[in-house]
Amino acid sequence: MRAVRLLLRKDLVVLRRSPLLLGALLAYPIVIALLVGLVAGYASAKPRVAFVDEDGLPAVVTVAGRSFHIQSVVDQVAKEVTLVRLGPGEASRELASGKVVATITVPPGFVGKLLTTVHSPSLILRTGSGGLAPRVTQQVQALVYRLNNKLQQGYIRANLVFVRLLLHGGSGSFLGRRFDVLGLDGTERLLAGVPESERVAAIRHFVRVARVGLAQTGAALHATAHPIALVQPKRKGRTWVLSAQVQSYGIALTVTFLALLLAAGAAAAEQEEGTLGRLRRGLASPGRLVSSKVALAAVVGLGLGAAIAVVFGIVAEAGGVSGGEPWARLPLLFAGVALAAAAVGAAGTLLGALAREPRTASLLAVLVVLPVVFLGLVPRGALAAAWWVSELLPFSHAVRFIGAALYDTSPWRAVGEQALWLAGLGAVFWMLARRGMRTLSG
Amino acid sequence: MSRVLVRAVGVARRYGDIEALAPTDVELESGETVALVGPNGAGKSTLLALLAGALEPSEGAVDVHARVGWVPQRPAHYARLSARENLELFAELEGVGDPRASAQLLLERFALPAGRRPSGELSVGNRQRLNVALSLLGEPEVLLLDEPTASLDPGQRRRVWEVVNALRGEGGAVCFATQNLEEIDHADRVLVLLDGRIVASSAEEVFG
Repeated sequence: MRAVRLLLRKDLVVLRRSPLLLGALLAYPIVIALLVGLVAGYASAKPRVAFVDEDGLPAVVTVAGRSFHIQSVVDQVAKEVTLVRLGPGEASRELASGKVVATITVPPGFVGKLLTTVHSPSLILRTGSGGLAPRVTQQVQALVYRLNNKLQQGYIRANLVFVRLLLHGGSGSFLGRRFDVLGLDGTERLLAGVPESERVAAIRHFVRVARVGLAQTGAALHATAHPIALVQPKRKGRTWVLSAQVQSYGIALTVTFLALLLAAGAAAAEQEEGTLGRLRRGLASPGRLVSSKVALAAVVGLGLGAAIAVVFGIVAEAGGVSGGEPWARLPLLFAGVALAAAAVGAAGTLLGALAREPRTASLLAVLVVLPVVFLGLVPRGALAAAWWVSELLPFSHAVRFIGAALYDTSPWRAVGEQALWLAGLGAVFWMLARRGMRTLSG
Repeated sequence: MSRVLVRAVGVARRYGDIEALAPTDVELESGETVALVGPNGAGKSTLLALLAGALEPSEGAVDVHARVGWVPQRPAHYARLSARENLELFAELEGVGDPRASAQLLLERFALPAGRRPSGELSVGNRQRLNVALSLLGEPEVLLLDEPTASLDPGQRRRVWEVVNALRGEGGAVCFATQNLEEIDHADRVLVLLDGRIVASSAEEVFG
């Protein structure tokens, strides 16, 4: 262990004396964290959408006997967007300039159509041409879905009023015209005063069947309004906001990239500087030499990962990013980052031993890291072979470890599994790298 | 009475199909200096690296009964560390009792720059002196030198031979590779290598 510690200290001193590399290493986590923060903030921010009222919506609209306070309805349903009331001209200008990402227009006659409960009025959605357009379209569709949900209750209640009239009789109105209905109850009462006959029996039978049928109308209307209900069981764990995914990928990508490059370069440098021969003479075995490069990758990876997490946390707190930063989980995150960096470092050392000189090693590491990362992003269902290959590389396990460490309520199982994967892969790469070092030096 | 400090029996080295050194027997005894001569690619550096343990033999074995110092042909040190830092690091790796004192002693002995200047920025001569100084860490009884005086000025060459002679005088053994035939005057024994084989094993045999 003494040789590993001495070589690690030497590598850290060498790293400190490479001003360009050191500057890049210091700037890298800050830039990555800021970018991650920006992406997360952008992803979780509510887009600004113009709300154009050309119909002069009243403060309260009564649909089918149910009153809706327009502003409170808008507040309740517009959870994913910030609705801003604008005039038609101003809304068009702001849409063109990008100040709003979409406009929702309530056209003239909207409320009138709505009150009929037999015609469906339309809202008009216009979106900009930016990258947010599909997302805003989805959010406005969700908004209209929620509005429809609220209105459906009123519509069903209105329809049930007619059903009750048919059952029990009484006075009603439709499209402004009042009318009286005898109802099934009144029909039965009338039939009671009529002498029994085959025809009367048939009418009485019809009344009974109609009563049973109409009794089911309420449930049938609810089922018609919601043929399929979507129930989302409460998920065990923290909200998996986009910021969490972005942060997990950001840290895993940075650690993978740097650990691979550093370890590959440091391992190959031992050969280029001729020190490998000196070390092999009983000063440091190939195994200890590999361990020193793995330790270098782990130490630098941990430093960078921690810096990204902390800077991202500050950005998230300052920017009010949804989900925030789970500060209490950072120690677990750091353990995962160190383990991931060590496993990747072992793979990097293997590359360095194979490449034999630092420039080739660095180029090889860059060429290797991109497919490794992309493989880690392939979903299992998309291409099973790619998914299985990515399982044999540390990146995808690092992403899962970091994600679970940061955002699972009970992360231990996931963290334990991924830690075993990372340790196992690290051990395999360590053995291959030791063999490579032995070949390289011998 | 002389004793064998290093013994190589049937030691050979191959790189794929290329035979860098055919099976070779060599012994280094206390109190002797052996010169390895031969053209480029003869196998001198390979033999020295095998004796030093810096290279694994493809076959055969090397028995070492003493502490060995090795000066590779190409200076082998960390370019971003200063001469002092290199000496201190390798002294610690060698397990030297007082690494700082050993480093200071060698810096003075070889007139190496004591500042923080990275060794990679030193002159070729200084780098070669550092290369030789590193081999003396841990007070070796056997010194294996691969063209140690290349790039050195006459004064520095003299200093290297003083080190060699002192070690031999103390009962150690020295084996050096050279292409400078004047330097075989420092040797008690000469081994001539050609195409990876020892073709002659005495100065008389070579030069009559």
